[in-house]
Amino acid sequence: MPASVPLTEINIALPWARPVPDVFWFDRKLRVWFSAQPKPAPLAIVISGVGGDGNTTKLSYLRGALYAAGYHVLTMPSPTFPGFIVSTSTTGVAGDLMQDSRDLYAAMQQIIANLPHNVRITDIDILGYSLGGANAGVVKSIDATEGKLHIHRAVMINPPVSLFTSVSRIDKLFAISIGPGDAGIEALYRQLYAELANLYRASDRVELDEGFMLGAAAATLKTDAEFSAAIALSFRIDLVNMFFAGDLYAGTGVVVDPNHPPRVGYSLEETERVLRGKPFSEYFARVFAPYYLKHRPNSTSKSLIADNRLDIIGDALRTDPDYYAQTNSDDLILNKRELAWLKDTLGSRIAVYDHGGHLGNLGDRSQISDMLDMLAGRWPATGQ
Amino acid sequence: MRAAHLVALISVALCGCASRSIDIHSLPAETPAADNAVAADNAAALAAVVATASEESGRQAAGDTAPPVTPADAPSMYTYDPWERFNRFNYRFNARFDEAVFLPVANGYRRLPGPVRSGIHNFFGNLSEIDSVANYILQWRLRLGVRSLGRFAINSTLGIAGLFDVANKLHIAPALTGFGTTLSKWGAHPGPYLVIPFFGPSTLRDAVGLLGDYGLSYGINVADLYRGVQAWALGVTNAIDERANISFRYYATGSPFEYETIRFFYVRKRLIEDEGLHKKDPAMKRDVAKPAGE
Repeated sequence: MPASVPLTEINIALPWARPVPDVFWFDRKLRVWFSAQPKPAPLAIVISGVGGDGNTTKLSYLRGALYAAGYHVLTMPSPTFPGFIVSTSTTGVAGDLMQDSRDLYAAMQQIIANLPHNVRITDIDILGYSLGGANAGVVKSIDATEGKLHIHRAVMINPPVSLFTSVSRIDKLFAISIGPGDAGIEALYRQLYAELANLYRASDRVELDEGFMLGAAAATLKTDAEFSAAIALSFRIDLVNMFFAGDLYAGTGVVVDPNHPPRVGYSLEETERVLRGKPFSEYFARVFAPYYLKHRPNSTSKSLIADNRLDIIGDALRTDPDYYAQTNSDDLILNKRELAWLKDTLGSRIAVYDHGGHLGNLGDRSQISDMLDMLAGRWPATGQ
Repeated sequence: MRAAHLVALISVALCGCASRSIDIHSLPAETPAADNAVAADNAAALAAVVATASEESGRQAAGDTAPPVTPADAPSMYTYDPWERFNRFNYRFNARFDEAVFLPVANGYRRLPGPVRSGIHNFFGNLSEIDSVANYILQWRLRLGVRSLGRFAINSTLGIAGLFDVANKLHIAPALTGFGTTLSKWGAHPGPYLVIPFFGPSTLRDAVGLLGDYGLSYGINVADLYRGVQAWALGVTNAIDERANISFRYYATGSPFEYETIRFFYVRKRLIEDEGLHKKDPAMKRDVAKPAGE
């Protein structure tokens, strides 16, 4: 870990951005973070996972490691992050692997063209974790055709193989660990409130500070069931934002009246409550599919699902030696068949660790050193 | 006159942030190695606290304490917010002010050498001890009052007017309180949620508490710090120091539901603190049928 990593924040208004809906007034510009090396260096672009902005704790880990290894580092939000949907997306309906990656690719070009003049870039590599991993792979494949950035290597960290298989696994996890809809969330809230209150009472602390909250959360999430509930809930909270934005932009009218969209100052509590009870499958059926079926001639629900698999870049993954992946054999977003497909497709260019679940080992020494080896073209090392 | 200057300054700053297609500004450097070490220490200390707390909460049922909090005691997921339009306006104002003025200044301040910043932070913390001593007495929590008084005495002398937190090094950790907590101890409910301009999330009770804390400090007027020009200089420095120590960024979530989220967590945090405050009071009243805070 380096002692110090310089950091700049870049806010950029993109020329193709559409009018910003009233309730999203704060998301007009795309916000990304950049760390510059003082001398000419390769650039590593890192893409966040579902719902994440461009400065998550995980990105911060990766930034530290990449900067120490001599890269300029540009960290970007996931195309499913509301700030991206509003400032950058050309559709407003997030979750389509190819479309989102095209939007990302266009934004990257704008950002790189506007970096300070003293930044000298010798090469460009791309990485991402979770959904961002799949985005990174697809962005590299788009660049292979368009050639605007000459992206060299891509490392996909815990990527999904089929977006819809992965999200339906998360829907199922939610149904099992939390229960149906908002009632399940309320029960979970009541239980956590009681546990926290009792812990706090017993702790003799005068104030409930952030540190105590983190410690207490770790103490209350003891069992696998509680962990699963926490993971399912965090995905659901991200989905609420995506669902709302998609419904607003696509005019599908699930929770947003297309003729009377909410304005600044309106209460959104009831809208949020309704959305909390809705799974990914409902987003697909009521917002995503209606929008894309209308805008993509000859598409069907089946073809939309098939288009959102990593197979769309399967040939490149198989033949181009510059694609790499890292995953875990117990990653909950992959089933056995999907893991086997990744191994078969990437051959020696994938590292599969035994433990870590979904992103649990991100930042571990072996994950970081393997990732840096992959980026530098030193993988697989002799003796692997 | 001062108010007019302030208004002019704010309007200039708010207009200044109008549309340029790109803006790049540097932030304080990240320090992963040091942060990791601190995080590891904190995690270890917290694990210990929480572990003893868990044991304690197992035993709590006996004795003269209130029965443990059950899920049925949790307040409603709805929050009492009858002034929502006003609050939303203030939230939005605060977000814009923070982005245009407060945060850039706080980020500049964070470039000062660490020891200078911690000196300033300790100085203000030490001044707050006086208010804490008074409030602990009003809350009839005398042990904590003596602790605050001891901290104030040690830090004002050995700590050179509060610039160094010597007491903390002697394992007398800071534990500040205020008039909002005193009101809670006396039985006041949080009341309506309230977003205070420039300040942020609060409740009616906590806002009255803030006024009380300020009134008390103003009345005692230690070293004549709360009168005239120095009061303004200190107030502004204190605000910047506070801001620089809070990592919150308005709309970092990108979410249109951020107002609801912050309101939810702020009010629940205060209610859990109330649970702690009333743990020896078996007759603690909870209105779980009403929106939280009412």
